[in-house]
Parts: sequence; structure tokens; C-alpha cells
Amino acid sequence: MVFALAAYRREEPAMPPPSSPAVRCQRIVKYYGTGDTRVVALRGIDLDVYKGELLMLVGPSGCGKTSLISVIAALLESDEGDCHLLGENIQRMELEARTVFRGRHVGFVFQAFNLLPTLSALDNVAVPLLIHGLPRSLAETKAGALLERVGLAGHAHLLPSQLSGGQQQRVAIARALVHEPDLVICDEPTSSLDHATGHSIMQLLRELARTQGRALIVVTHDPRILEFADRIAHMDDGRIVDVTRVPGTSHEI
Amino acid sequence: MFRIAIKMLWGDRAKFAGLIFGIAFTSFLVTFAMSYFCGFMTWGFALIAENPSADVWVMDPAVPSTELTTNLPDSALYRVRSVQGVHYAVPMALGTAEVRFPNGSFQSFQVIGVDDASLAGIPPIQAGASPSLLRAPDAVLVAEGGTSDKLNTPARVQDQWPYGASHLDVPTRMLQAGDELQINDRRAVVMGIAQALPRYPARPLLYTTIANASRFLPPERHRLTFVLASAAPGISARELATRIQASTGLRARAASDFKTDTVLWFLVNSEDVGDIAAMLLLAMTVGFGVTGVMLYIFTSENLRHYALLGAMGATPRLLIRMLFVQAGMCAMLGSGLGLGACSLASYAVGYIDYPFRLMWFTPLFGMLMVVLVSLGAAALSVRPVLKLSPAVVFAGR
Ligand SMILES: Nc1ncnc2c1ncn2[C@@H]1O[C@H](COP(=O)(O)OP(=O)(O)O)[C@@H](O)[C@H]1O
Ligand SMILES: [Mg+2]
Repeated sequence: MVFALAAYRREEPAMPPPSSPAVRCQRIVKYYGTGDTRVVALRGIDLDVYKGELLMLVGPSGCGKTSLISVIAALLESDEGDCHLLGENIQRMELEARTVFRGRHVGFVFQAFNLLPTLSALDNVAVPLLIHGLPRSLAETKAGALLERVGLAGHAHLLPSQLSGGQQQRVAIARALVHEPDLVICDEPTSSLDHATGHSIMQLLRELARTQGRALIVVTHDPRILEFADRIAHMDDGRIVDVTRVPGTSHEI
Repeated sequence: MFRIAIKMLWGDRAKFAGLIFGIAFTSFLVTFAMSYFCGFMTWGFALIAENPSADVWVMDPAVPSTELTTNLPDSALYRVRSVQGVHYAVPMALGTAEVRFPNGSFQSFQVIGVDDASLAGIPPIQAGASPSLLRAPDAVLVAEGGTSDKLNTPARVQDQWPYGASHLDVPTRMLQAGDELQINDRRAVVMGIAQALPRYPARPLLYTTIANASRFLPPERHRLTFVLASAAPGISARELATRIQASTGLRARAASDFKTDTVLWFLVNSEDVGDIAAMLLLAMTVGFGVTGVMLYIFTSENLRHYALLGAMGATPRLLIRMLFVQAGMCAMLGSGLGLGACSLASYAVGYIDYPFRLMWFTPLFGMLMVVLVSLGAAALSVRPVLKLSPAVVFAGR
């Protein structure tokens, strides 16, 4: 514990923040359960994620990575602390407004792809737009364009079960980006894929997702993809123990 | 998003087919059983239906239905006839007789004695015989009344009377005009087969004049069971009934009310009807229970997907609407198929003598039940969908 605290270090103060933060977490604490069975998943997290950067969240299994991104996306309420998303304290919003806000501004990529199994690739990609009430034709045009950008133009009408893992994850990426969110959250996007496919998925994410004004959080414990990060936040036991800047990457600002 | 909701439903063909089949089957079962039940009930008041010109039925104040009757003094007929607004009134006598066939076998018949003068209440006669033949002494018409093989008489002459001994196990044929029967040691001559409505409970029927009936039936002080009154123009059946009741002290019911009385009487007093109703209830409970559970299971299995939609910005309100669209779709398709099958079945059973009556309210009721159950299942599914934390989208694979 003492070691962990000692190892904690903020970014070099000399380096100015690359841009305004998309995500600002302050003293986030999250418990699961109560009484004897209470688990402290997050023990006071301070973290900023800036627009235009790709932040990787790494750490051993069970250290709280998923809990943290759930809190950031307002899928989960923290027990203490505040989390601002694009300047809004979305945990304080009404459920409905929060849901709509998340839908508009956040995109997700999951380890298990989480595509709707009975919908075609095109429909899957169109879902976030349809949720926001876009007319079907427009939604499908946009979804088709994104499928093309992830290299699956010819697969639009296939069901997820007819696609390979890598292809499914490409569809998922298209879905995460189709509504042009300000924050994209990826939970272990490469863990279900072999190395080469994972690499190409990360490349795709970096090329397509990481644009000016958009923040990317990628949770991983796959050391092979760390090279894609701008910054790496190391977590252990519910704390961020280290934030490192990856040399050689620069921000497109 | 409703298209997406329907695709979610439709996408899993096997489950969807099961769901639709379940609902279709249940709505078929319910509609069919109810039509069957209604069919029985219409057979129950067949006597009233057979006398469409009788606007009002007059009876002893204690008589609750056509099934449980006691007789009136003969004077009742004249008292009814003297009520203002009665166009005409005819007597009807009901009784039960053991009828012996020429080979010595016997069968219990309901005897329906009609007005000697007008012969009102005689159903159409098969094979052209004139009803006026009934005025001959000992003349009767017979009808199966929903039974089968109960109007069988020995086919061969040597098996017919005079019988020294009974010839019970002999070849038989259906009664026909000219056959003879014995009722209370009196000879009765069959003039023809009446096309009577089938009865519930089924029973062979014997139509004759009241004069003949009083000879066949065991002697009683009173022979008159009902007075059938028809209303003068411009007066409603109910109004006439009220008038007759007020001025004679007898029970007078408009035909439609008397039908209702009879149906209610069956519902309360007939064990068979109770059994049918219980079966119906059981079928409905099981069918709708299964349907509801299937719909609920469908939603439960899709919980993860709803959570995902929630994470992607679908509000609880939208998710609920999707749930109801799915349930509504199942309900519509399923009950549509079920009711379609039922109306086909009603054509099919139209060809056989089967108590089946698809009343206007039956499919409505079947539909309503399906919709209620589907909505109920959807409503039940709402809770888990809403309670589910969208954070489960990150859980495992
Ligand atoms: N729903 C939950 N209920 C109880 N404990 C949980 C729940 N989710 C996570 N935890 C616990 O919280 C800690 C952090 O979990 P998680 O955020 O999933 O870590 P990671 O994603 O880094 O593996 C773990 O000890 C885990 O067992
Ligand atoms: Mg995790």
C-alpha cells in the first residue's frame, strides 16, 4: 500500500495539458456490496482524459478497470467523488437525461463484441442512430459508410454469427463511432482476438477513432498493444498508481 | 427502433415460431372451447329457438328454465289470451315417456305436445309429410334431438310385434313414417322424422298434439306446461311479458330473456356445464400461463441486449415501448392465426352435428385474453429490464 502510494506520480507538471479534459474524475470511490462482503473496487481515483488522446488503462485483473470506465460512462454510480463528462456531472442527471447524454456522447467497444445476434451488421451499426431517432434511411446510409471505413462494405447484410471475431469487432467499432461520440470506451477490445487481428483492430481504432476532439479510453491487460497509447494509466487495487506518457506519440493538436 | 424490436423477436426463428404457435394454439383452444360451450348453451334453449313466433313464454311462477318444468291449470291459457296486447296464445305440454319399440326395447323420449288447432311448435318434417297428419289419433313425429342411434327399430318383420318374447339383439334401422311405437300401452304411429334442433342434454324427441300427448302421458291433473304468446303489433315482447305477469300472476318471460334464464340455469345447475366451464378455465389457465411464461422467458433471455441498448442511450421508456411492441406483435400474430384456425374449424364442424357456435363475442374474448396476457407478460418483463444495471454490458463474454 505504501509502495503503491509512493509509486503514484502525477504527470510532469512541466507538460501542459494537451487540450481540455473530456473526462475529469475526482476522488472516485466505488464499493460493491455491504458489511462483511463489501469490496472496495475504486479507492479514490483522480484522472483526466483529454480530447484527442488515446488513454490506455492497464492493470491486473480485478484492479477496478471495468468499474472505473463504468463510472466514467455513468453506467455505474460512484459512492464518492465526482466525474465530469464533457464538463457535465452526469451522475447528477436524471436517469433519462443521463441515458440520452451517454447515448449521444459515448461509444462502446466490448471484449465480447456485444453485437445484437439477430441483426445484420448494417442494422447493428445503425442502432445508436436509430436510438437517437434518426430516420431509418439516413441511419443506414451513415452505417453503411462506416462499415465501408472499417473494411466491411461487402458484409453489411451478414449476421454477426456469419462474421469472424475480428470482423465482428470491426462492426462493433463502426457502431461505436457511427454517432460521432466525444468519448469512446473500449473494454479489452483485443482480448478475444489473436495477436495479428488485435493489432489490426488497434490500428483501426487509432486511425478512425482518434480524431481531434475525441477522447479514447482503452482498457487492456495486453502489453502488446500498449504502443498504440498516448498515455498509459496503470491501476492496481482500485488506485491509479502511475500515469506514463508514451514516447514518440504526439497529439494531433 | 420498433423495427429493431421486431427483428430481435423475429431473428430467433425457432423461439419466435414457438411463441407464435403457443399463442395461436391457446387462442384457438379458448375460442374453440368457448364456441363449443356456446354451442351447448344454444342447444340448451333449443325449445325456445324452435318457436320463434312465441314472443313471450308463460309458465308457473316457480319454473326457472325449459329444463325444470311443472304444469299450469288449463285456465292459464284463457287468462293469457284475455290479456290486452296478446295477439294469440297457444298451449304447449312437456312430458317424458318411455317408448317401446316393436322388438321390446325401450327408450325415454321427451314428449312435446303442441296446440291441436294450430300445430304451432312443430319443426319442419323430413320427406314431405304434412304436419296436419299429426291430428290423426296416435300420430307422432320423432326426432333424434342430438342423440344418435336411439331411434332404431327392428329391421326385419319377424322381429316386430306381436312379440312373444323380446328380440333385443336384432338388426335395426332408423324409424321412418309408418312405423309403430308403444307408449304407456298405447299405440303410436310415426308420421315422419322432425327436423328438430339438437338438444342439450341430448334426448330423443316426440312431437304430437296435446290431445294425443294427454293420452300417451300418465294422467295428471294439469297438462299445460307453457303458454306461448305472440305480441300484437306495436308492443314489445318485454312489455307484453310484464303485462301478462301483472294480470295473470304467472311468470311471463320474453323469449330472449327466457333463453338467458335457461343458460344461467344450466350454468348454475348442470354439473356437465360446470365441468365444461372448469375444463375451459383450465385450458385457458394453462395456455395463457404457458404463453405468458414464454414471452417472459423471451425477454429474460434478451436482458443483456436490452442492457446494451440502454448503454447505447435507449431510455427506459424506449425499452418499455420496445417490449410492448414485441408482446403486441406476438399477440396479434398468434391470436390472428388461432382465430383463423378456429373459424376454419367452425366451417368444418358445420358439416357434422356438433355443438359449435362462434358468437361475435367469442373471438373478441379470445383476442382480449391473448392481448391481456401478452401485455401482462410484457409488464412483468419491464421490472427486470429496468432494474438491470447497464453496467452488465461489461460483464464477461
Ligand atoms: N458487480 C460486482 N459485485 C461485486 N463485486 C464486484 C462487482 N464488479 C466488480 N467487482 C469487484 O470489484 C473489483 C474490481 O472489479 P473490475 O472493475 O471488474 O476489475 P477489472 O476490470 O480490472 O478486472 C474486483 O475485486 C471485483 O471482484
Ligand atoms: Mg474488467
